[in-house]
Amino acid sequence: MADVIEEIEREVRGNHVLVYMKGTPSFPMCGFSAATVRVLNEIGVPFKAVDILAEPEKREAIKQYSNWPTIPQVYVGGKFIGGCDIVRELHARGELAPLIRAAAVA
Amino acid sequence: MTTPDEIRRYLETALPGAEIAVADTTGAGDHFEVRVSTAAFAGKTLVEQHQLVYRALGKLMPQIHALSLRTEAP
Repeated sequence: MADVIEEIEREVRGNHVLVYMKGTPSFPMCGFSAATVRVLNEIGVPFKAVDILAEPEKREAIKQYSNWPTIPQVYVGGKFIGGCDIVRELHARGELAPLIRAAAVA
Repeated sequence: MTTPDEIRRYLETALPGAEIAVADTTGAGDHFEVRVSTAAFAGKTLVEQHQLVYRALGKLMPQIHALSLRTEAP
């Protein structure tokens, strides 16, 4: 488990926008993951996706790491910003794109 | 199988006085839409608000396949 947590830390630190999801952006395996990818594509920001279905150990580890029981999970600038509902809500309020831009500058 | 009443009871216990709406979106007892409004959320980020709800649902969480959540401070 320690190895997986280290790998997660590397991913979180090394990617401006990072999504832990079920499936891939082209073939999401869950409606919530699909909706999250859709929002990020709408904003037009490049992002790194990690398919937790392909890595069962990481699926459990990321829940502990983020203290968040569900997938997808989105990180921006190394900070956990939420799951599908929060990403959608931030986007609807027009706050997600500025948040991503601000994290790129910092 | 979880019922909307069960979800409501767990939330009311953990967040007394909260305004709560629960809908079973498929009728199968594993997909729910939950809205919670409570003063306990004031000053908290959305992540913290959702974490409070997840914690309140405790042992129900593993039985719930899909949970759509909307939280706010009144």
